[in-house]
Amino acid sequence: MKVLVFGEVIDGEVQNITYELVACAKKLGECVTLVTSDADVSSIDGRVIKVNAGEPNPWHYKIVEKVVEKENPDLILFGNTSVSVDIASQLSAKMEMPVATMVYEVEGGDGEVKARSIAYGGKVIVELSMKTPAIAVVNVGSYEAEEGKGSASVEEVSLEELGVSDGVEFVSYIRPSEEDVDISKAEIVVSVGRGIGDEANIEMAEELAELLGGVVAGSRPVIDQGWLPKTRQVGRSGKTVTGKLYLALGISGATEHVEGVKAKNVIAVNTDRTAPIFRISRCGAVADIMELVPVLIDKIREIKG
Amino acid sequence: MEVEEMLETYYERIGEIPESEKFIQCIQCGTCGGSCPYGMGTLFTPRRMILAVRAGIVKEVLDSGAQWLCTSCFTCSLRCPSQIPITDAIIPALRELSLLEGNPPEELAAALMNIARYGNSFRESPRKRDRWIKEVDFDVPVMAKKKSADVLFITECFGAYHRRCKEITKAFAKVMHLLEVDFAILGNEERCIGDLARLSGEFGLFEDLAEKNIRVFEKYEFNRIVTHDAHAYNALIREYPKFGFEKETLHHTQFLYQNLEKLKEMFGKLDYTVTYHDSCYVGRRNGIYEEPREVIKAIPGVKFVEMKRIRENALCCGGGGGGVWLDSFIKEHIKERPAESRVKEAAATGADVLVTACTLDVPMFEDALKVTGLEGELEVKDISELVLEALES
Amino acid sequence: MKICAILRLVPDLVEELEVEENEVIPFRYMPNERDEHAVEEALILKEKVGDAEVEVIGIADPDNEADLDEGLGMAAAKGADKLYKVILDRPTFKRAEVAKALAEFLKDKNYDVIFTGIQAIDAFAGNLGGMLACYLEMPYIGGVVEVNSEDGKLDVRKELGGGLLAEYKVPLPAVIGVVSAERPLKFVPFTKLRQAMKKAEIEEVELELPEFEGIEVVKYEVPPEPEITLLEGDVEEIADRLIEVLKEISVL
Repeated sequence: MKVLVFGEVIDGEVQNITYELVACAKKLGECVTLVTSDADVSSIDGRVIKVNAGEPNPWHYKIVEKVVEKENPDLILFGNTSVSVDIASQLSAKMEMPVATMVYEVEGGDGEVKARSIAYGGKVIVELSMKTPAIAVVNVGSYEAEEGKGSASVEEVSLEELGVSDGVEFVSYIRPSEEDVDISKAEIVVSVGRGIGDEANIEMAEELAELLGGVVAGSRPVIDQGWLPKTRQVGRSGKTVTGKLYLALGISGATEHVEGVKAKNVIAVNTDRTAPIFRISRCGAVADIMELVPVLIDKIREIKG
Repeated sequence: MEVEEMLETYYERIGEIPESEKFIQCIQCGTCGGSCPYGMGTLFTPRRMILAVRAGIVKEVLDSGAQWLCTSCFTCSLRCPSQIPITDAIIPALRELSLLEGNPPEELAAALMNIARYGNSFRESPRKRDRWIKEVDFDVPVMAKKKSADVLFITECFGAYHRRCKEITKAFAKVMHLLEVDFAILGNEERCIGDLARLSGEFGLFEDLAEKNIRVFEKYEFNRIVTHDAHAYNALIREYPKFGFEKETLHHTQFLYQNLEKLKEMFGKLDYTVTYHDSCYVGRRNGIYEEPREVIKAIPGVKFVEMKRIRENALCCGGGGGGVWLDSFIKEHIKERPAESRVKEAAATGADVLVTACTLDVPMFEDALKVTGLEGELEVKDISELVLEALES
Repeated sequence: MKICAILRLVPDLVEELEVEENEVIPFRYMPNERDEHAVEEALILKEKVGDAEVEVIGIADPDNEADLDEGLGMAAAKGADKLYKVILDRPTFKRAEVAKALAEFLKDKNYDVIFTGIQAIDAFAGNLGGMLACYLEMPYIGGVVEVNSEDGKLDVRKELGGGLLAEYKVPLPAVIGVVSAERPLKFVPFTKLRQAMKKAEIEEVELELPEFEGIEVVKYEVPPEPEITLLEGDVEEIADRLIEVLKEISVL
């Protein structure tokens, strides 16, 4: 099976999802990665086609289209990210290809691709079968990025050769203020979700974080309410935590959130025993964080003396 | 909305509430603000609100958020020399304007939307409203099957879904079971009784809830309603009759008092020093002071002590009038929550147990114990939990 | 400026879903939260531009079209100028079919901006926004959190992830995928909503879906229960156990 990977580049850096997709592609057969912005692609394993079309932009689907016409892949892989989904959805309509989204597992067959997706807020697994050529939009963290790294053999193709462009114009990046803590670099993260109840209770999480030598983060609803700054958001549209411990307090574990959780150990506390967060936890407690956390804080204090 | 439209809407709404014309008699004495648990944290005490509205100044009041700094404790209304219905009219009608503007505090907005959509403020399925009956070791009949009973037990939302309040519901259900009371619950057919919606300015939602609940009541035969939720009790005796509801309603303290002779024969001994919190909508609003005290004092071994602020002067737990859903907002304006002040007061009496009469009290006070560091020194129990403990000891 | 926002229905997850091998049966449907943000952003753009109209296009199928009334009423209460209820001739999980049919419907409506939410919990076979844009031959950009109008174009802010945003200029007409509106969703009091629902003039349109081949659901299933044991019961005991785990992983 021939697989084309859409390599995501943001701000001149190849994103981790790219390597994950390459890892997936390699399991399925021959892999070619397409990158549409300038970046150091040398660690991407296998063939890399590099087109310098500027910063990430939704109209790049037209570049992918041209490359697909030339390379004829059976399967095109995209990451389930803000940048890539724009391109995947336009491409699938333009080229009339079936597309599976929210995918966590891809299998190849004869003239068909099987994909498993997690939908309905994590409550249902859907097994899909697509006739090739097909597109799969894969969730971040479904495959091991390390397995997609190696050495690249790069082909540069100029934009003029392809003869495409569109009217959506990239203006600039808007970076978050650098002053706040970078949770993606923290070893220990104490994260709060809707279950924290209200802003006043975040103090409690901060106390716990301090005792453990970590930082406080939150899921989207907490940030939307304005209880924590955007830089503390964990998830698809926030940051990815990769440290030693992610302590999820009152977080249900929706897919968009869990995508940002790549810590080595996850401990979750939630009153709902069916909360999807438990599926990725090393250890879980069905309890009310408002009851459990103060007790935990007291005990840890005792231990630390 | 323009100011004229706001004032028109405001006057139209308070015009529908009995006695509200008395606001013209406001003599600006300031008793209301002086009595208010949030008086020191608000830019507009009820006195200033009335003054502002009379002067046609509405937007500034709404922008200050003062209308949300109210726990509907009724102290101002009770003490007002002009008998202005501040709690039931002045403030809810102002809150309604905020709702029409579309920008109430978010937590409360979500709670109100959940009530409209799911019949409870917790965003839980209405079909799970009677899950608590699976957690007790005796049979709790549901009206859909039983069709008739002597007593209809209304659990209300907190009593049905809130982890701590469910314990109170279970305790009272067990007491009724031990008393061999013929009771039943509505289970999934019960919707939020709605006092929270009414006091939050969602008059339309309240009306809808009342009408829907009354239609369900009419399906079954029962002699009276008993509830442990003081706000549900209040809505049922004062508001629901306006929509045609005519059955007798008792608060569970009254019910326990009515059954006191029987209970006395069954009480074991408890070794507690107990103080009693006059929940706002049991005591101050609805005049029930003696019954709970008699019940508590009837338990052998219990030593009863009074706090300083009792009966109509009791300090609110802060949970009413949407308070349970406004904590973030309120905390921005005051240093110490009323519940925190109250538990300190209870601890100062030397009591081991603070007994309460409204479902909302217990989680509010237990949270306050954590914040004030009094956990372990003082326990909070609903009166039905105390009674059950006495019956089982 | 002629603006439209698309409002879809998704299963309400507060209620339990019945999951069978070839069907997922929700107890009830509700408006897709991301689409509610799209409607909100459309109304915000109308406020900013001044001379604009917002039309809300609700999409449902014969099984659930009644559940759309509240969402459309809400949009009307918040200021939408016109409401459509597009009833698809059958339920489908294939977004491409919906996008193609919807594009036919929208083609001659001359909208300058079409807002849609970027995601829905049942969107496992495509995302509507990009597909719709392609069939309409309009530019598309998703992940949008802010929209401004400037010199006949839209200036938008797109979330890229990790707190990073980027600014783009989009020529009109265009399809915009909203992830969240610039301000929290406006609250609509019960009575206002009911009145809006009663007065709402909703133009009903029936839409026939094309049949796309190439993708099928093999089966639906409920995820397996997690293997980890869940700690429950006494808070003190749970805390002790958690501390043991924290020690195991060298945090304490």
